[in-house]
Amino acid sequence: MTIDIAQIQNRMRTLRRTTGIMGCLAVMLLTAASLSWGQVRDYSARLETKRGVEVTKIAVDDFTPAAGKLLSPSDSVTLTRVAEIIRADLDFSPFYDIVVVDSFYLKHMEMAAMTLLGWSQLGAEYVARGEAEFSGSEITVKYKLFYAKSGIEFARGSFKSPSSNFRRLAHKVANEIIYYLTGEQGIFDTRICFVSDRTGNKELYLCDYDGANIYQLTGNKSINISPSFSPDDRKILFTSYMRGDPQIYQYDVVSGAVDLLAAYPGVNSTGRVSPDDKTIVCSLTRDGDSELYLLERSGKIKNRLTYSAAIESSPCWSPTGSEICFTSDRTGGPQLYIMDKDGVNVRRITFLGNYNDSPDWSPKGDKIVFVSRVEGKFNICTVDVTGESFRVLTELGNNENPRWSPDGNHIVFSSTRSGTKEIYIMDRFGNEERRLTAGGGNTNPAWSGHSQ
Amino acid sequence: MKRYLLILGLIAIMFMPYGCSCRGKQAPPVEQPTPVDTTPTPPPPPPPPPPQEPATPKVMESDFMIVYFDYDKSNIRTDQRVALDKNAEILKGNPDINIEVEGHCDERGTVEYNIALGDRRAQSVKKYLIDLGISADRIKTISYGKERPAVPGTGEEVWAKNRRAAFRIR
Repeated sequence: MTIDIAQIQNRMRTLRRTTGIMGCLAVMLLTAASLSWGQVRDYSARLETKRGVEVTKIAVDDFTPAAGKLLSPSDSVTLTRVAEIIRADLDFSPFYDIVVVDSFYLKHMEMAAMTLLGWSQLGAEYVARGEAEFSGSEITVKYKLFYAKSGIEFARGSFKSPSSNFRRLAHKVANEIIYYLTGEQGIFDTRICFVSDRTGNKELYLCDYDGANIYQLTGNKSINISPSFSPDDRKILFTSYMRGDPQIYQYDVVSGAVDLLAAYPGVNSTGRVSPDDKTIVCSLTRDGDSELYLLERSGKIKNRLTYSAAIESSPCWSPTGSEICFTSDRTGGPQLYIMDKDGVNVRRITFLGNYNDSPDWSPKGDKIVFVSRVEGKFNICTVDVTGESFRVLTELGNNENPRWSPDGNHIVFSSTRSGTKEIYIMDRFGNEERRLTAGGGNTNPAWSGHSQ
Repeated sequence: MKRYLLILGLIAIMFMPYGCSCRGKQAPPVEQPTPVDTTPTPPPPPPPPPPQEPATPKVMESDFMIVYFDYDKSNIRTDQRVALDKNAEILKGNPDINIEVEGHCDERGTVEYNIALGDRRAQSVKKYLIDLGISADRIKTISYGKERPAVPGTGEEVWAKNRRAAFRIR
């Protein structure tokens, strides 16, 4: 899947031309869209109950065959599914809702299909329309974005891929639509790595962000846990018992090769690569109890970060790489702390509850998502890095292993709410929950970056 | 004359495939030592007299007792000391046996913290055994956190069985 440079230039020209024609209006509307993105704090302040976020409505028309060509039944199904995937993607964004075709409206207006004005009357602000051409085993999708009310086109794009890979193509279209609307990269072409014991052993798996295309990575028949992506998404660090003791390994996503990184005496666990891809923070018990260490990228010990008789574990990096959030039970139960990356300036950030662990630092830098025991149940919570705004995001079952999406608007986690352990995603307010797996024993998710 | 030759030829052709296949079949046995060589080699050795097994009863892993812990705790409970004392006796009586102590947790709590907690449990068993005079280099520890429960399911009864330290012979 590549995007033609010419296509991009063409697209930008179109965009410029349209904005030229539209003058201030388009710019104002686009600014409005990006402004609403910037006012994230206001949204979260307003959201005390579920679903309090103001959303913009968008419609995605069924995609049509290019030049009215007749499609084979399988191509026709593919085309329908492309539009469905784009709708599901956009609907998952916390700031956009999909408007669906209202058959009553169509009947009432005596129309065969929705018009832009019709969409506008159903509340849609934007409408995406597209057409697809099938040639051989390839599919080319061209889409356009319109203001529903004025009917003016303000963006367009085109993607080509093998038609068997239509899911990815649809995700890329949705990503670009989100980019035009918000100015930020969408997460619809990202992956989630997780642990599943569906074979009887805990092995690593990879799937699309929406749970499709599940693929087994390891097959060593031991215990593999705690995966995390390297900043370039090409490597997955994980803890494995494949040689007996728990040690830190690295899986190469491209070649499938597995390298041993840390095999110090005792436990080697939860390795996380720093944002600059130069160091790894992890916990080792080589000096008696669980302490945090900074390793070189090769796995060689650089320096020890913590010194206490308590358990120090579960480290994660701030997005800039200057600080580390971790868990320590130095006051009795596990609580979250932040320190500078050289181990100094330690301060505690959780004070509510007596069991807080599994921190993950938001990509925007402002929040930590973690697991907290609330009245005997484990829930996904967020707290500001300052220690303020402790918020519980889940209610049902026991919930674990939260990790941010690369845009910081979503969280992936595992939950027992359905009776078995499954992977779920939700937006950062705790809404729009979706289950990704079906069939017992799925845990330890990690969300890739944008570069997957 | 011609006819004789023809018949001879036919006979030759008839035998050729057999000859060939025979040689083919014989090829591998050729590498076997000649009978001359085999004679000096001792006849198949008589079944070696098995070492007297019943004399020293072998220690089995199941002879070691499992040690249980309280929720979120790694200290040795007073009611579990009997089990550990018995395990120490076995180790004293079998100085050639080295062990691995596995620390386990119940399913509650996080993966990371439970690995550290399981390690603490294994360490506290190791320390207890050392205090009873067992040499430290005979005891290896490993933590499985909550990854390898003895009993599946949930509920206090199940959890109590999973918060444990198990002994394995190395």
